[in-house]
Amino acid sequence: MIQLLNTILIGLTSGAIYALMAMAIVLVWRSTRVINFAQAGLALASTYIGYQVFQIVDNYWIALFVAMAAGAALSAFIEIAFMRLLLKHTSSGPIASVAPIIATLGLLGIVKAIITMIWGGQDAVIKPPLSNTGFSLGSSTLVFSPMKLAIITSVAVLVLIFSLFFQKTNIGLALRASAYAPEIARLAGVKVDLVRTLGWALSGAAGAVAGLLLTSNGNGSFSPESMEFSLLLISGFIAAVIGGLDSLVGAVLGGVVLGLVTSFVLMYISGSLFFIAPFVVLLLVLFIRPQGIIGVKAGRRA
Amino acid sequence: MTRMNRRALLSASAVLAVAALTATAIPAQASEVGVSSTEIKLGITIPMTGSASPGYNKIPGAMKAYFDYLNANGGVNGRKITLKVEDDQYVPTQAVAKTNKLILQDKVMALISPLGTANNKAVAASVNPARRGIPVMFVNTGFSGFADVKKYPTTYAILPSYIMEAKIMAEYIKDNFEGKTLGLVYQDDDFGTDALKGFASSGIKFAVKVPYASGSQSAATAAGWVQKLSAAKADVVILFGVSSATATALGVAASLKYAPQWILGSVGGDATTIKTLGVPAAVLYNAVGASFAPATTDTADEYVKLFSDIYAKAYPGSAFDNNVLVGMNTAFVAAQAIKAAGNNPTRKSLLAAIDAKGASFASAALVPLNYSKTSHVGYNGYWFGKYSPTGDLKPVDGKYVLYTTDSGSGAVVKSTWKRPAMPAKGLPE
Amino acid sequence: MHKLSNRVRIAIFILLGIAIYFLSGAVDELRVYQGATVAVYVVGIASIILLTGYSGQVSLGQGALLGVGGYAAALMRIHYNAPVWICFAVAILVAAAAGALLGLAAARLSGPYLAGTTLALAVGLPSIANQFAVLGGEQGLLFDVGFPPLSFGEEFTQYKWFFWIASLATLIAIFWLQNVMRSRYGRSWKAVRGNDVAAELAGINLTRNKTLAFTLSAGLAGLSGALLAMTIGTVSPSAFPLALSFSLLTGAVLSGVTTLGGVMIGAVTLVAIPDIAGAVASRFGSSEAVTNNLPGLLVSTLLILTVLFVPNGPVEQMRARREHRVKK
Repeated sequence: MIQLLNTILIGLTSGAIYALMAMAIVLVWRSTRVINFAQAGLALASTYIGYQVFQIVDNYWIALFVAMAAGAALSAFIEIAFMRLLLKHTSSGPIASVAPIIATLGLLGIVKAIITMIWGGQDAVIKPPLSNTGFSLGSSTLVFSPMKLAIITSVAVLVLIFSLFFQKTNIGLALRASAYAPEIARLAGVKVDLVRTLGWALSGAAGAVAGLLLTSNGNGSFSPESMEFSLLLISGFIAAVIGGLDSLVGAVLGGVVLGLVTSFVLMYISGSLFFIAPFVVLLLVLFIRPQGIIGVKAGRRA
Repeated sequence: MTRMNRRALLSASAVLAVAALTATAIPAQASEVGVSSTEIKLGITIPMTGSASPGYNKIPGAMKAYFDYLNANGGVNGRKITLKVEDDQYVPTQAVAKTNKLILQDKVMALISPLGTANNKAVAASVNPARRGIPVMFVNTGFSGFADVKKYPTTYAILPSYIMEAKIMAEYIKDNFEGKTLGLVYQDDDFGTDALKGFASSGIKFAVKVPYASGSQSAATAAGWVQKLSAAKADVVILFGVSSATATALGVAASLKYAPQWILGSVGGDATTIKTLGVPAAVLYNAVGASFAPATTDTADEYVKLFSDIYAKAYPGSAFDNNVLVGMNTAFVAAQAIKAAGNNPTRKSLLAAIDAKGASFASAALVPLNYSKTSHVGYNGYWFGKYSPTGDLKPVDGKYVLYTTDSGSGAVVKSTWKRPAMPAKGLPE
Repeated sequence: MHKLSNRVRIAIFILLGIAIYFLSGAVDELRVYQGATVAVYVVGIASIILLTGYSGQVSLGQGALLGVGGYAAALMRIHYNAPVWICFAVAILVAAAAGALLGLAAARLSGPYLAGTTLALAVGLPSIANQFAVLGGEQGLLFDVGFPPLSFGEEFTQYKWFFWIASLATLIAIFWLQNVMRSRYGRSWKAVRGNDVAAELAGINLTRNKTLAFTLSAGLAGLSGALLAMTIGTVSPSAFPLALSFSLLTGAVLSGVTTLGGVMIGAVTLVAIPDIAGAVASRFGSSEAVTNNLPGLLVSTLLILTVLFVPNGPVEQMRARREHRVKK
């Protein structure tokens, strides 16, 4: 019983972090129709900036806030300085659909190389701000600690803020319009370029939070080569696809589903299946419901 | 379109040809490849970047620190030893490419301490140092196969094999934790399955075995391991994985208030690495660990004192950990091998020297080297200790109790071997 | 643009073969080894060009298909002691079968969905090797194609032998691929790439076309994997990492994904980058952190510059420019 409960809690916590990453991917997709494979690289860069701030002020929450701002700025910068140029050059022609994927993969390589040149390849540690010691339930200990509670709460709050923001401000609509029909959007008075940059900036901030929370979910250590950051890219992406790629709610659901499935497979089948389980989940979803859990039909052929 | 194809192919081939032809060949050596009157060149392939690099990427620096010290003290018979380092990112294809570069372009005399089982296997098959007569001194892997003289005649193991480690660990458990419920966390590749073999042959039974896929270790997965271990009520748990797996397992177990007697395998038991991964020393306290080298904090040990001094001068402020100690020790053993190879060392005389005198080379380790014409086994044993409150592995009551064995069906015995005194100033004699 | 007759093309390929033969005798062993690696990359990159450039699908998991081919070849050699050509043929067939399966799934997906699926494949597939003892675990399996025939003389090196085998296989593969591109299928793929809807209206069966492209591409990838296994003498999960898939994609972009003509450019660049980076780093006496990461930085930068400024590849760019000039 306690094992079942703990399995669920493990899945929920990692699912929350996947969800955040999936949200970051969805935001970029919604604003520019691009999958940003450099997202995990940007999250890593923001985490390092957070680390640097943490060294100076020794306050986790300030570091988190600065990392968010830095992530937003970095991401916006890339959109303005790079993606606009790219989309202009390759808006049509045979590799139009492939170019953004390749370009963001290239960005990932550059970001990683630069991070390693600056901070070196060794592990850095940001001490988690709250205790990771689990709450007690009777005589047993739950896999749920103040830190994990904070992780889930932070994700929930961010999701709430984002959805409110989109509902109340029409930004969501503008994002979608800018991506699908930029000309019409422009005629309708939408500042397309600005809206796109905003989408990237929000995504950068979400990615930064995902990066920092990821390190705090464990012992607080990370490096440019942290396996977990490479997995963050893949898990976040799979979660986004499961959720339908176009919906924030879908991204959150996708993240939670992925977290839970992985957690259950590891607990009740075998730890050897770690890398295969997400792939199987992805294939199943794509075959049973190609438009994702929440998604518009025919969206796959975008 | 097709016209273009042909032209492009041709011009590209021409570019390749010109590039190849203008590649400078290094002028012929007087006596042996990689040996001049003033210098001896060695080469190492090791992950300097990539997910396998943390910890290991300190080894080349450690070796260079020793060689620099040696060179400043006259080198080996007046020749300086230089080390060429190539990053293989822990990918076999890269290991082969970089080893080819070391051998064919940099013209090193011998390879030293190349890392990784799959990588060394690929290099042995493709580059084939045996066929070229190139010594591969002291491969950095616990795969027992590399000690096979017939299969790899120019390759020498140095680390005790994973099978030896598991057998010795089993003996230690029988001596100290008889009747306890045992648990095991292992990496589900050869590294772990070799260990399983060793445990099985010793008749050790685990109440719970938890495999994990290499690279999957994280807080979330480790929480799963701990669940399984505690559900099986294991009170002695062996962590036979890499450092990051040890670190996450210990961290998560602490947060779940699960505190069995931990036993850490040597690969994942380096305290410095575990601590840099964010695990407080207090969590490591009282865990059992294994090593063949003296404790890195044991400054009463003449080797530890000398090596840590050299390292501190070369890299002020850097931690002197087990990777560094073992790296410097490997360099030291290699220097003796070169010295033993005579005034004008050749690849052949180097191999002959290790076969003939290798077993008597001085080394920091507390167990003997076992080189001979018929055996390329390096160290064959371990001592067990406990981690101190500051997270340093120390022998219990300050006494090193050593066990030795082999990779086959041989028994595990308590070793009575005494390490000979260090040569003056830690230089080859 | 006129097309060369088959006879002329065959003559050209034979000439190329002869050039490679003389080249292999003129350069030192390291270059011969690198030549074999270039051949491996040429086939791997060609498999991506076929898929991406001609049918508009993207695969981030080509490395996994190379792995399938490599393992198939090694298993044939170990268990049936098959001659090397049979091993290669089996590698192509097995990988093509895997590709057909993947292609069926891929035909339902496009763009980012396909990219994600193949990405997950590249991460997941290699870890399967540890689940089955027959695949040899993390150490992998040996793939020993044997020594060159004694009649070639004592001086004939193993790598020269690999280079010959790989070059010959590559020439045949590229010749065959050109034939495919010139066929009805090649033309219909181009149509699909340009515009799904139009192609469908013209009566082209999209699903069958895409699946076929995936199958043929996977077959080529399988050959590349078998050649790779030959040059490094083994197959193991770590020999087919995600980075390999990314490298091949990078090579394809540098070559230009829309034509086969530049395929050498990407392959040679991939092999030459570490050397170039090493030269640059030692020239400027860079620190260790910079030296180690320079190859990655250079490759990624080249990749981005290519996508930005010559998205269709250098060869296509030159052709377009010349045609432009002629028209004036």
